Amino acid sequence: MTDLLRAELLKVRTTRLVVGLLAASVGLVAMGVVGSILAAGDAGTPPLEVPQGVRNAFGNAGVVSILVLVLGILVVTGELRHGTITQTFLLTPRRPRVVGAKLAAMGVVGLAFGVVASAVNLAVALPWLAVKDVSVDVLGGDVAPVLLAGTLSAALYGLIGVGVGALIRNQVAAVVVALVWSFILEGLLVSLLPAVGKWLPQGAARGLSQETLADGSLLPPWAGGLVLVAYAVAFAAIGARLLVRRDVT
Amino acid sequence: MAVISVDRLTKRFGPVLAVDDLSFEVEAGSVAGFLGPNGAGKTTTLRCLLGLVSPSQGAATILGSPYVALADPIRRVGAVLEASGFHPGRRAIDHLRIAATTAGLPMARAEAVLAEVGMDAFAGRRVGGFSLGMRQRLALAGALLGEPEVLILDEPGNGLDPEGMHWLRGFLRAFADRGGTVLVSSHVLAEVAQTVDHIVIVARGRLVASSTLSELVRRSSGSVRVETSDARRLRDALRARGVEAEVSETVVAPGTTTEVVAQVAADAGVTVTEVTAERADLEAVFLELTSPDGARR
Repeated sequence: MTDLLRAELLKVRTTRLVVGLLAASVGLVAMGVVGSILAAGDAGTPPLEVPQGVRNAFGNAGVVSILVLVLGILVVTGELRHGTITQTFLLTPRRPRVVGAKLAAMGVVGLAFGVVASAVNLAVALPWLAVKDVSVDVLGGDVAPVLLAGTLSAALYGLIGVGVGALIRNQVAAVVVALVWSFILEGLLVSLLPAVGKWLPQGAARGLSQETLADGSLLPPWAGGLVLVAYAVAFAAIGARLLVRRDVT
Repeated sequence: MAVISVDRLTKRFGPVLAVDDLSFEVEAGSVAGFLGPNGAGKTTTLRCLLGLVSPSQGAATILGSPYVALADPIRRVGAVLEASGFHPGRRAIDHLRIAATTAGLPMARAEAVLAEVGMDAFAGRRVGGFSLGMRQRLALAGALLGEPEVLILDEPGNGLDPEGMHWLRGFLRAFADRGGTVLVSSHVLAEVAQTVDHIVIVARGRLVASSTLSELVRRSSGSVRVETSDARRLRDALRARGVEAEVSETVVAPGTTTEVVAQVAADAGVTVTEVTAERADLEAVFLELTSPDGARR
């Protein structure tokens, strides 16, 4: 099983895609931190002097989760599109093991993205907040839980990506659906129907990290985490079932 | 013992009957050609054999069990299924390293097989820039990673230049001579005719022939061509013995042997200057067997 996991991680590392997505998350997280700190204290946004403001400044892992979601989709649909799934299943004809290794690999990759995002977040926010004379307790206060929540969310989004990829199969369609859902539909639902929005993946992820959700009450961290785990398990199960049963032609 | 056994295999894709009650076997240490026109069901049969496609009915086994049940399949069976099975952005050596990692093989095997197929100079290149022939060689390298005893190759000649084809034939022959078993599909009979011990021909998903190459040629109708100064008299003499013949510049008698024709000529006192047995052209045999009329017989 560790051989399979290593092989899946090697697959991710040996295309240039992962480099691009990692660079994109570094850039987007840096921009997100800058945006949050600049906006803190503006109309309706909590200032940096209160715990919620600090949490928002460090809670920028959402965009990383979406990039990991895309990577998870590409990992599965890429195999279908380029026909490498044939070699994969020839090497490991017991398909559930392949699916398990892919899920584990995307979990690991999601964690790695989360760790990188957290490091970028700290590297940008800590010096800036020091200059602004805002004291932050990284380990003892709100910062560590928020970063940890973002990292866990990214890992769970990786599993969701594997499931979505197996479900939709067509690479372009799957990525478009994931991006439209994450950036447009989910955002609309969250702002128009916050009572529903908090149960959606992004709402649940914010519950986990306790970032602000427009006007809506968040789920408590444990519930947000459980909801996100439930989404990951559901998508992973659907994807596994489809990948295991389908003919590879 | 049959290394590969396809037993009453049937596969339907929706309304399409891709493989229809197909049975054949491949013996250990032999090279079997799996022939048929495009769309005959060759690829589907091979994919059933390798556990990628589940049969609607029947079974296909390798080394006595379904592929899926083989422990460590890469060390038993090497397969090349299609030239497109590569991520274009991945380097050739990485493609093989992924396979070696999955199978728990030493990384050095990746370099070794790349050298074996003459591709070591391209190890660091991304597959996207490869020609079809180079992809075929890389795919074959992947099949050889685990030093398998069985090779299953789907149209490996596609995209190979004549030199590459020559190399592949020699390679397969040497593989079988070392005791390996090969099942190689092709839609071009001439491509494999010089290499194979056994030929399985399919058309429209059904078996139309399973025999040795020489049997196949013998079964098909050859003819005898005779050079003579007295063509008409020879024709009449042949007809009198129930052998049909045509006269143009020479006498052509299909479906008989040189012995019969020579005897008839001698009995009739006709002087002949040349008697040639014309083997049916292999390609013609193939076309005859796989044509809609041929299959109905």
